[in-house]
Amino acid sequence: MDWIPTILNGLLLGGLYGLLGLGLALVFGIMRIANIAHGEIIVMAAFFGLMLQRLTGLNPLLLLPVVALVFFGLGYVLQIGLLNRLLGEDPLVPLLATFGLSTMLRNLMGQGFGADIHRLNSGRLPFISLHMGFANIGVLPLIILAISTASFVVLALVIGRTGFGRMVRATADNFHVVQMQGVNYSRIYALVMGIAFALTAIAGVLLGMRTTFTPYSGVEHMLLAFEVVVIGGLGSLWGPLLAGFALGVVHLVGLRLDPDSGLLYPDLLFFLVLLVRPQGFAGLRQT
Amino acid sequence: MKTLLRHRFAVPAAGISACIVLAALPFVLGSGDLGLATEILLVFTMAQMWNLLAGYAGLLSLGQAAFIGMGGYALYGVTNLLNLPIYAGILAAFVITALVAALIAPLLFRLRDAYFAIGTWVFAEIVHILVTKSDALGGSSGMPLLAIRNMDIDQFPVISFACAAVLSAGAMLFASLIIRARLGLALMAVRDNPLAAASAGIDVWRSRFLAFVLSAGVSGAAGGIYFMSTLFIDPNAAFDVNWTVILLFIVIVGGIGTLSGPAIGTVIYFGLRQLLLGQQGWFLVLMGGVAVLAAVFAPRGISGMRFLERWVGQTAP
Repeated sequence: MDWIPTILNGLLLGGLYGLLGLGLALVFGIMRIANIAHGEIIVMAAFFGLMLQRLTGLNPLLLLPVVALVFFGLGYVLQIGLLNRLLGEDPLVPLLATFGLSTMLRNLMGQGFGADIHRLNSGRLPFISLHMGFANIGVLPLIILAISTASFVVLALVIGRTGFGRMVRATADNFHVVQMQGVNYSRIYALVMGIAFALTAIAGVLLGMRTTFTPYSGVEHMLLAFEVVVIGGLGSLWGPLLAGFALGVVHLVGLRLDPDSGLLYPDLLFFLVLLVRPQGFAGLRQT
Repeated sequence: MKTLLRHRFAVPAAGISACIVLAALPFVLGSGDLGLATEILLVFTMAQMWNLLAGYAGLLSLGQAAFIGMGGYALYGVTNLLNLPIYAGILAAFVITALVAALIAPLLFRLRDAYFAIGTWVFAEIVHILVTKSDALGGSSGMPLLAIRNMDIDQFPVISFACAAVLSAGAMLFASLIIRARLGLALMAVRDNPLAAASAGIDVWRSRFLAFVLSAGVSGAAGGIYFMSTLFIDPNAAFDVNWTVILLFIVIVGGIGTLSGPAIGTVIYFGLRQLLLGQQGWFLVLMGGVAVLAAVFAPRGISGMRFLERWVGQTAP
């Protein structure tokens, strides 16, 4: 048995899993909102990419900026129009709202697109691979890993090194105090939600290129994204990437040992981490 | 004094008249309507159990489908594989789901709030996948109820209804007793402020544990009777995400943290469903939309609305 290719492919897939969780981790870390509709946003982005592709005939990779921009706007509007009104003492109210939203979006997509399986067509790209001596590595997964990692780097720079990022971190620490410094925290929240939606939409298009999706596949992506957040732990932007790698490797190794297991082994890894390290890889504090 | 009288006699009186109505239904309704009545009672029971968890214990579980489906499979496992009678199956549905809940609780209780909600959901997914992979339980294609062969097919809807009626009456009685007893007070104290409750001498973990296990067991029994009455079970129906959607809709719209809330919610849910019969997709869109609106405008649901308080009793304390 040769395990190296499986593990390498797991790492490549894991980069994408990390990106699936990044937007969720950002929103949860800054605003304490657990967005249950996260999976539906992923699937919506994939469908939006599909429609744009049918319209333009371009490779989905070239459509990424457009999709990201549109979803940035959607996230901004959702935060301003709905979620900002629900921030308060009870963290379960936004959870309830996003749960309702996820049910709505999932079934709206079901009404619009039917239950058929879709995939984003990226031409010959999925069939090109590099010979690396001990394993063949697909070019598409490599590109996806590169985009995922780049997204992490850009977000870390924006949050860690810019004035905007400083305001975001200050708002996360205490939104009452930043208000006294003249920062409009509800606008910061809206921008953060916009950024999170843009990242999630990029993840959704990339996922649609790698694997098939239906209007109903959002739930499993949402759970996977939450596993990334919990396993990664709060307090570091790199935790989710590491968690993504771990989940990707466990997923593919699990599938190879036990072919019809679906996401069973990533789910079990989640419980294993809860058992031995409930604060996650990078966790500074337990929620 | 007036309110005391109202509460002391109104609740038992309503309970007794409800029981009389339930006992009369099998003689009045045809088997189709009796099936619907069975479903209403079971969904009401599941909603009340979710309410006990989310409304009284402050444990927002999004994975109740795990216990509903598991109860169904426990009943099918015991009756199909061990050839035991359906009543043993219903008992097994209660015992097995309560046991599993007791085993998983220590792990899930490491999570708080939103993390707990997601943890229960992941747990439901794990159970779903394991059942789908199990050949003994029929795998992904499911299995029929074999016990029906030894039973009178004409009497079967009446038997299912009777089981559902006994369970839902028992669950309602149990829930109304429990929230007035020490455990209920402890749960509400823990929900409102865990730290203060602990410092008042309440064992926070134990109170939550009891609520979680009891709610799982009764939901399991309800799931067992539900899938018994449908004569067939498969993993996608048993562990359907929409179980959670339905329970959440009923409890939130009716009024979380009140005993009457789930009853109101159940009536609204089935009313809307009958109106939108054959439009399952749009019905779900509507339920999601109403949940969003409820979160914005009325997080305490209909029984939390001031002008209705007189008719539906006290609101959430």
